[in-house]
Formats: sequence, C-alpha cells, structure tokens
Amino acid sequence: MMMLLVYDQPGVMQRVMGEFNRKRINVETIVVGKCEMPERARIVLAIEDKEKATGVLEHLRALHEVIEADLVDHSRHEAYALVQTGEGLCRVTGSVEEVDSIVRKSKPEKYVQTMNAI
Amino acid sequence: MGPLRAMIGSVRTMKGARAAVELLKQQNVDIMFGIPGGVLLSFYNELAQSDIRHVLVRHEQCAGHMADGYARVSKKPGVCIATSGPGATNLVTGVATAFMDSSPVIALTGQVATGVLGNDAFQEADAFSLMMPVTKHNFRITDPALLPETIKKAFLIATTGRYGPVHIDIPVDIFNADITDEQMAKEVKVPKPKKNLAGLLDAVKLLEKAERPTIMVGGGVTWSRAGPDIMRLAEMLMAPVVTTLMAKGSVPENHPLVLGVCGMHGRQVANYALNNCDVLLAIGTRFSDRVTGKLSEFGMKTKVVHVDIDSSEIGKNVKGRVGLVGDAWTVVNALIAGLQMRTKTATWRDRIIQLNKECTCDYNFKSDPLKPQKIVFELSRILPDDAIVTTEVGQNQMWASHFFKCYGKRMFITSGGLGTMGFGFPAAIGAKMARPESVVADIAGDGSLQMVSHEFATAVENDVPVMVCLLNNGWLGMVKQWQKLFYESRYIATKFGGSPDFVKLAEAYGADAIRVERHSEVAEAIKRGIKSEVPILLDFVVDPEEDVLPMNPPGKSSADCIKGRCQWKGGGI
Repeated sequence: MMMLLVYDQPGVMQRVMGEFNRKRINVETIVVGKCEMPERARIVLAIEDKEKATGVLEHLRALHEVIEADLVDHSRHEAYALVQTGEGLCRVTGSVEEVDSIVRKSKPEKYVQTMNAI
Repeated sequence: MGPLRAMIGSVRTMKGARAAVELLKQQNVDIMFGIPGGVLLSFYNELAQSDIRHVLVRHEQCAGHMADGYARVSKKPGVCIATSGPGATNLVTGVATAFMDSSPVIALTGQVATGVLGNDAFQEADAFSLMMPVTKHNFRITDPALLPETIKKAFLIATTGRYGPVHIDIPVDIFNADITDEQMAKEVKVPKPKKNLAGLLDAVKLLEKAERPTIMVGGGVTWSRAGPDIMRLAEMLMAPVVTTLMAKGSVPENHPLVLGVCGMHGRQVANYALNNCDVLLAIGTRFSDRVTGKLSEFGMKTKVVHVDIDSSEIGKNVKGRVGLVGDAWTVVNALIAGLQMRTKTATWRDRIIQLNKECTCDYNFKSDPLKPQKIVFELSRILPDDAIVTTEVGQNQMWASHFFKCYGKRMFITSGGLGTMGFGFPAAIGAKMARPESVVADIAGDGSLQMVSHEFATAVENDVPVMVCLLNNGWLGMVKQWQKLFYESRYIATKFGGSPDFVKLAEAYGADAIRVERHSEVAEAIKRGIKSEVPILLDFVVDPEEDVLPMNPPGKSSADCIKGRCQWKGGGI
C-alpha cells in the first residue's frame, strides 16, 4: 500500500498514473481526496507487487507535484465492498479475506470491491 | 513610465506578453528558436521590441534540437517556442530528445484561449498532456497571476539536480491579461536535490580493496564537467576509464587510461575492461541497454558502485549495489579525499594500457570507393582542438563515436537516448550560436539529413557557418546492416531510390557544397569546410557495403561480439 501527498490541482492524477502506466503496474485500488491541509490531496493506492511498488516510489518522489510518497504497512487488512443481491444493496467491511469470501459466497449480480485501501 | 505599462487603480501592471519577454530577459535568455502562429502574435509583438534574438526555424522539431544543441554547449537553458496544435505536436520530438539526454530546454507553446480549452478549437491540441511524459516537468498556465512564478520555476527546475526540459503551455488570453508588479516580483524556490552519501565508506572500502577497478562515466559527467576530477581519481586508483556515448568528450581520449566508448558499437578494449574488472565505479550513467547488452549477464563478476544525481536511477537497471546520490563533481571529490591512503600495484593499469595500444587498428583507408572511417579519421586529425562535432543517428553516429578522438576543448554532441534522426544538423546550428568561435561539424547520414535538410535555409539566413559532413551511402545504413546480419540480407525499405543531388540541394538554399568521391580529396575538402564562411555541405559518396563493426548483437553479451576487420585478439580472462 502506498500513500502520496500531492498538490490538489488538475493534471496531477494523470502525471502520477503515468508513472504506473510506464512501469506497467496495475493498481488494485485507488482512493483520492482532499485532506487536512488546504490545497493538498492524498492518494492512497494498493499494488500487489511490493518490489514493483518500491521501484516506482523514487520516480513518484521525483515528480514536482508530489510532496510525499511512502509505502505504508497494511497490517489492518481492511477492505470494503458494495454488493447488489436480490435483496438490494449491501455494504461489507472487514479483513481482505472476509470481504472476499462474503462477496464470492453471496454471488452478487453486481459489486465493487476495494482492497487494502481504507 | 513608458506606454507599455498601465495603471489599474494604483497598481502598476503590464500585459502578459510583455511580462513573458521581461521574465525571459531576467533569466539571461539572449536567443530563442521557434515559429510564430496565431496564438503567439502578441508575444512576438513584444519580442520584436526586445533585444532577444529570435531564430526562425523551418520546422518546430528543429527549434527543439537547436535549443538543445545550444544548451549542451553553453550549459545553460536553451529556449524554443511553438504555436498551439501542430506547432506543439511538432515540438514534441525535440523536447523528448532533450529529455532522454537530460538537457535543460525550456519549451514554450501557445494555446487556444482558456475559455475554449477542451472544445476542439482551431489549432487546439492537448499540449500539456502530450508533453507530460517527455519533460522533467510541465505547466499549463490558466491563471495569469501565476505566469511570472511559473516561468521562474521552469528555469529553476530545468537546471536543478538532474537537468531536463520543462514545458509551459500558455493560452492566448494569458498573454493579453494584466500582470501586476507584485506578481512579477514573486520569489520562487524548488526543492533542493537529495543527496545520499551514506554509502561513501562502503564505496571507499570496495575501491581500496579492488585489484582491477574500472571507472565508467556517463552523461552526468559531461553536464557537471567533472572530467578533470575523474582523471585525477583514475590516476589515483590506477583504473581505466570507459565512457558511454553521452560522456564522449568529458574525459580526454588521448590519455592512455581512457579507453573510449563502450557498449554495442564500443571499442573492444573498453568492453573488455567493463566485463573483467572486479569493482566498477559507474558515475552519472543509467546503464542503458546499448551499454550493458544482456542485462542479466552484465557485471555478474563485478561489484558496482553507482553514483548518480537522480536517486531513481540507483538500482533501476543494475540492482543491489552501493549507491551514492549526488552530483558527479561532489562525489568524485569526496572519493578522492577518502582514497588518499590507497597503495596498489600497477599490474592492472599496465596491462590495460598495453591492451589499449594493441586494440588500435589503422583506419586511414586509402581505397576507393571511399570508406566512411577514412572521413572520420581525417576529421579527427584535421579539426582544431576546440571543434564541436554533432552527429545524426545511425551508422554515421557509430563511426563518429568509434573513430573520432575527443580531447582538449572538443565536444561531441549526439542524440544518445532517444536516437533522433535529424538531430545533428539543427543541434550544430544551435551549438555554433552558443560558441561561434569554434568550428562546428555535423557528421551526417543521407537518411537523417533528408529529415531536416530544410534547415539549410535557417543556417544561411542567420549566417551560421556550420559544416555538414555527409556520409552518403544511399541507404538507411544501420537498418540495412541489421537486415544483413539478422534477417538474411532481405532488404526492404532501406534503399533510397530517389535521393536528391545533395550538392544542388545545398546550393539551392544558398549554402556552399562540394562532392568528394576519392580518398585523396577528403583532407582538402575538410580544410575548405573549416575555412568556409557560409554553411557548407561536404557530400562524401561512400561505400554502401561498409558495416559498423565491431558490434555486440542486441540482447547479447560482449562475448558474442561481431569483430569485423579489426581482429583484436582480446585480453583473455
């Protein structure tokens, strides 16, 4: 899991994601939003391959719109899913394994899942 | 107060276009290369009233290359400008070339008005996105208040840490907006480049113990001008110095410890030293695939100390080594200080110097049809000690890198990273403008020159007497060579059926030109080229069957070297 502190302005996502694109890294989950500091935003994203994540880190730090970039420990293993079944919409939270097994068991019509990024 | 300044209430203001020109002047810009267009008219109107010299090129790509050539010689930012849409897309190649070779180019593009941005207006292209992956950083100004600080920042970023091009996209209404004096006076700063010399002690220990140390220098050394310090270190360590293509010229090639360019078409003795050293000190290089060959076999037996100003380069290609983050000059001097106590025998040095002598074959070919090596040999012999040589890309570039000797104040300018055909001629024009007192020669191929031959007009119009030494073999020579070696000589799309008469072409633009077909005429032609006061083309008609050898096939190690006629016995293990 990786956390970036960036300037909150147009084009930043493109520049950051450009690095992942160039290094052919698939981002599992990405959450972006305003944060406690004015005119700054935080990007939290999850990548499966830790080695690749370490490799891209220095490239991200070199970007002028990135203020901080760090790997963060995801010991809490929290995940979130929004599941649509016959009975309607349902939210699921918990560890990655729990959420994953609930989603698979309930065989939903539609669902979204975010892993390691809450 | 002149008519150019106005008052709004009690605040003094000036138009964005005026502000942009003033800011360029503040950054000591005295020359810029470009082509105007609809959205740049107000900027050019102000430029006309300033003392910044504007060079009108014939294609925006060449504006980028000229700014790049200018920057590489003067070591300060080169500025180029293009209009919105097609102007910006044409400029991309020039900027990308500068990016791959870490050259500080400032690229300005006009843009359609902010009100219609994103609406497919006439001559609109998303230049901001197009330039993003090929620049160190880029800006799109949508608030006139930010114009002054953005331009200041651009120059700072381009020349801080690892150099690189910076692009600014400026919509037309920004040029017409009011900028206050307060906004003009705003100070900017950018983060200082990181240094990490924690591994210095490990590096010193490794080098102290080394039996067969070798120093490999890259483009970073050219930019930080650390050549003399590297040579001091080399003499202390009794280590040979090999250079990458980008570092050619940073260390004197007439020094017995300097083995020349390594890599795919490098000198065999340089590759030998690279592969048989026990400790490799790599400075300012990114271990390009053209240097390492098969990456998994590169430096298997070697301990590597990697010095680079850009922390993201450490461990990118060659992993798990001692990394030092800092500029070449600082780190080399730190190493010199740390290694004062070292005492070692001279066995390795003496062996390498002997091997270096043996690995020199005679390329003063006295035969017709003319051999390209002969021309580079004569250039190397005749050109003055402060000459600047630029190259295009392909066989001409590799012959130049292999056979031209760079020492003294000579410079070697080439598109190493991106490999842009058509780079050499405009870069030569830019280089000549940065150092008018030096002879500037472009070693060109006929394929590359045809991509930029229109710049003869720019050279003639601006009175820039560069010499183009055309190695004319009627083929896209390097591609042909690969088809010959790796695709059973099945030639396709590499022979030019209808090339122009290059002498007439140059003369049509008002340049001087000579055709040379005999080996006995080469020296005299070059001497005439040096004396020429107008741009001159020397059309050397060379043997199309000549290949660039030795060559390490792509993706293989130097053990699989195709040697050609230079049968150096090698140094053994």
